[in-house]
Amino acid sequence: MATTMDDKREPDGIVLTEAQKKSRRERSIAIALALGVLVVLFFAVTMVKGPAVLMRPM
Amino acid sequence: MSVVDHNALELSPRISEADVADYIALLKPRVMSLVVFTALVGLVIAPVHVHPVMAFTSLLCIAVGAGAAGALNMWYESDIDAKMSRTANRPIPRGRVAPQEALAFGMTLAFFSVMTLGILVNWIAGALLAFTIFFYVVIYTMVLKRRTAQNIVIGGAAGALPPVVGWAAATGSLSVEPLLLFLIIFFWTPPHFWALALFRSDDYARAGVPMLPVVAGPDATRLQILLYSIVLAAVAVAPWPLGYFDAVYGVTSLLLGAAMLAFAINVYRLRQGREASRATRRLFAFSIFYLFALFATLLIEVVARAVASSIW
Repeated sequence: MATTMDDKREPDGIVLTEAQKKSRRERSIAIALALGVLVVLFFAVTMVKGPAVLMRPM
Repeated sequence: MSVVDHNALELSPRISEADVADYIALLKPRVMSLVVFTALVGLVIAPVHVHPVMAFTSLLCIAVGAGAAGALNMWYESDIDAKMSRTANRPIPRGRVAPQEALAFGMTLAFFSVMTLGILVNWIAGALLAFTIFFYVVIYTMVLKRRTAQNIVIGGAAGALPPVVGWAAATGSLSVEPLLLFLIIFFWTPPHFWALALFRSDDYARAGVPMLPVVAGPDATRLQILLYSIVLAAVAVAPWPLGYFDAVYGVTSLLLGAAMLAFAINVYRLRQGREASRATRRLFAFSIFYLFALFATLLIEVVARAVASSIW
């Protein structure tokens, strides 16, 4: 049977509590920020080192 | 037939309610701050100009690497953390973070911190950071801590490495100066942690951790604290007559060393009652100030020299 867009059935499987949703959202934002910092860091160091960024001393 | 489907219960995933603060607690922020500070000193005393972006990158990687080591330590020690009043509030014993979540978090941060330091700064610093994490997690936490009373003596090497990593990040090499800083922290670690262990010995005994006061008794520990404090004071002054650090550092080190010895002598003398407990706590508190002041002196000297050279 086809379902409609306004199907009001309860979702199957695990339903997160409000606290779980809130903490998941907080963690997701933190991960996004960390990845953003990593991108900015790599960009900034590339700018500082210039084209020699891949020719570093061992 | 059972009404409860045990299979489904076992397979149902645990939904985490851990927030960002719980994950920050896994990083041991107070330990991390000391690591960053000592690494900063190792970095700035290096006789090379370091671009601020590179210095920031190095310190960030060292901080994250130290945090990773802390998280992995908490993952492995969650059973004994739950038995000790000092650590029972950590995220894993409190049930906020599952052990496997802490393991994944620590491993991820360890990988990214080492790779980022290696790729962006240099591989000597990256390798040293990897070795530091390995030494703290595997050698200290997994091998030594539950087996020998010398756990914090040998394991102290991990805590002593950050200034060496900082120097390596700045110069791409190693030298005598960072090794002197290594030795200072190495010999500082036993009196610092044994002072803590003296007034937390019940905690350690309950958790089955063979700290020196638990295994050898408080009097033997007091003697060891005194002996290590004598060695520490001598090692900390040595860079001055050897010509590596100047007189300002030398005199500061002499004064701080004398004070450290006075506190250690008090711990050795006062063995009973509230006075003994107070002497131990004072030594513990002063030992933190001692290391901070010693390294801050080196930092201030470098900054003062840079300011003076820019003025003249």
